[in-house]
Amino acid sequence: MEFEWAPEDAAYRAELRAFLAAELPPDWAKLSKDGPGSDAQLEFSRRFCARLAERGWLTQHWPAAYGGRDASAWRHAVLGEEMWAHGEPRGSQYMNVNWIGPAIMKYGSEAQKALHLPRISSGAVLWCQGFSEPNAGSDLAALRTRADRDGEVYVVNGQKIWTSYCNKADYCFLLVRSDPESRRNKGISVLLMPMDLEGVEVREIPSVVGERYFHEVFLRDVRVPVSARLGPEHEGWDVVSYALAYERVGAARYAKAALVLDALAEAAKASGRLADAALQERLAEARALCEAARVLAYRVIDGRAKGRPPTVDTNLARVAGTTADKRVGELALEVFGSEALVYESFAAANFRLSMTAGVAVGATEVQLNLIAARWLQLPKSGA
Amino acid sequence: MDFELSDDQRAVLEAVDALLARHAGPARAIELAAKSAYDAALDTALDEAGFDGIALAEETGALEAALVTERVAGAAGTVAFAATALVAPLVAGRALPGPVALVRAAADGPIRFAASARTLLVLDGERARIAPLSAADVTPVHSNFGYPFGRISAAARARGETLGPASGERLLAWWRVALAVEALGAMDAALRLTVRYLTQREQFGRPIGSFQAVQHRLAECAVQIEGVRWLVYEAAAQGARTEAAACVAGLALAAAGHVHRETHQLSGAIGYTTEHELHVFSLRLLALRLECGGAGEPLRALARERWGAPA
Repeated sequence: MEFEWAPEDAAYRAELRAFLAAELPPDWAKLSKDGPGSDAQLEFSRRFCARLAERGWLTQHWPAAYGGRDASAWRHAVLGEEMWAHGEPRGSQYMNVNWIGPAIMKYGSEAQKALHLPRISSGAVLWCQGFSEPNAGSDLAALRTRADRDGEVYVVNGQKIWTSYCNKADYCFLLVRSDPESRRNKGISVLLMPMDLEGVEVREIPSVVGERYFHEVFLRDVRVPVSARLGPEHEGWDVVSYALAYERVGAARYAKAALVLDALAEAAKASGRLADAALQERLAEARALCEAARVLAYRVIDGRAKGRPPTVDTNLARVAGTTADKRVGELALEVFGSEALVYESFAAANFRLSMTAGVAVGATEVQLNLIAARWLQLPKSGA
Repeated sequence: MDFELSDDQRAVLEAVDALLARHAGPARAIELAAKSAYDAALDTALDEAGFDGIALAEETGALEAALVTERVAGAAGTVAFAATALVAPLVAGRALPGPVALVRAAADGPIRFAASARTLLVLDGERARIAPLSAADVTPVHSNFGYPFGRISAAARARGETLGPASGERLLAWWRVALAVEALGAMDAALRLTVRYLTQREQFGRPIGSFQAVQHRLAECAVQIEGVRWLVYEAAAQGARTEAAACVAGLALAAAGHVHRETHQLSGAIGYTTEHELHVFSLRLLALRLECGGAGEPLRALARERWGAPA
């Protein structure tokens, strides 16, 4: 075991912090108050990712053959931590670089690789993920969006929901049922669908979380070329399992939570409330939860650095991460009291961001099911 | 960064596991607890096999001492291994005659292993003190929290060799790491026991452990335990930095309370019997929560250390 950062990774972190200090505008905190789906933040993220790409940092962990730099999983983890600790200025593009790109590398045709990978690694493209449907949330295998083969085209009909970032996205990583006779996780395919095709309609679902956070995507007779299918026909479940394993630890939310918590403690100190021993204990326990989430995330990165397939460690890390995130969000309200009611306030903005932890990217209950089955090896659940 | 045991660490753990399989285990702890007795045989076996010197040996260090401490706690060892082999050598820089008991100078409450300890390590503000201890200094206390306890006379807590300026801070930090790693071993054992029991025990025609409502609570315990595990390994490997030690002790003792509650609730009435082994670990978890100022103390210390919270 070794718990110290390699000198080159520590040096990279320092370089990255200097870069962020120079690149993030002074009003970044304000800019990000409406959430990552807001116009202001999306526009900023596009410029910011291009700057990261110029340095070769955006997709540094990709193989050199695909425009990366063969950087280690640990170096990429430093990038993720620093990005989240600064409010994730990459916006939605962490998805592209963390799992959409790698899925294309593993399952894509040469033409798909040539089309998509350079655009992702230059920071020039926005993606969204078309997974959830009105009747397929946690139970993703219940999805019903149809893709009927018509020669060299799939005719897609159906509806996706809770889709983030799709108002500005160029492409959608879309899950469809390509075999209409199939059930559950058989007969599913992945389509890399351009969002500007005829028949694609995006509607915002107004929410209390942030601007343009959730959307519905209606798909009516959308004609997607067969050449846009990622991986073998009807075997998309394998593709999405691979992609999700990467997605589940892609976000270093604990780094953001730890930073917000420090700011909360500073605010409590300034107002005199930090003298309250009970509040000290609650803030400190939240800090300890952030630290636990950090080391559990590191354990997952360790597996990745050693080239191992993801294990139940990812589920443990995820539950720890969302637990920390939620605890910090709740403390924001406690520390600021009624001032947290003001929409523009630091407390309210951070509370809003923490609200979806535990639901977004897979419900905590599903993670707990997997931990019970795979880690504790409890008997199969029947209810 | 590397989150895997090295071959050497694996070998150390295999050796201690083999020793513990012969000399320790919850059944033996129950037997000893009935007499409020210390496990002198296990203490000797660990020492003779060289485990007491692991923290200061050339090839091993604090992390290995912590790993072995976890195993001893997980096997319900009724020995002062954490204080003797982890805390004392790392604070004093040398082995002290064991068993070692840890005490705060002002604390007149029951102290773990006091009646059997030969050396007392006293936390007195900024300084640590090493004092010889004899049976005459100790009044045994009857307790069913899984360890032998005794009260230590004020005179014994006031005498001895005072160590250097930062020794108090060092003692407190290693004490906290030791508490966290002992809690880890006991929590892990309590959860395993509970999982095993709930896999066998059937009600409503199926194993209780197959109910999702039960599974989620066990899985939540697992998440907490694994967080403590990796945080305490990190804290030990990095030399028990003040903030990290407070942080992991705060996390571990909070988790200890949670795991105590959940394993008992889910085990039902059998969990209260002396025949079932859960109580060995679950009550020890509460005893650990009450040591060194209580479970809230490291959290408040973390708030002071990290944010300059007022004392």
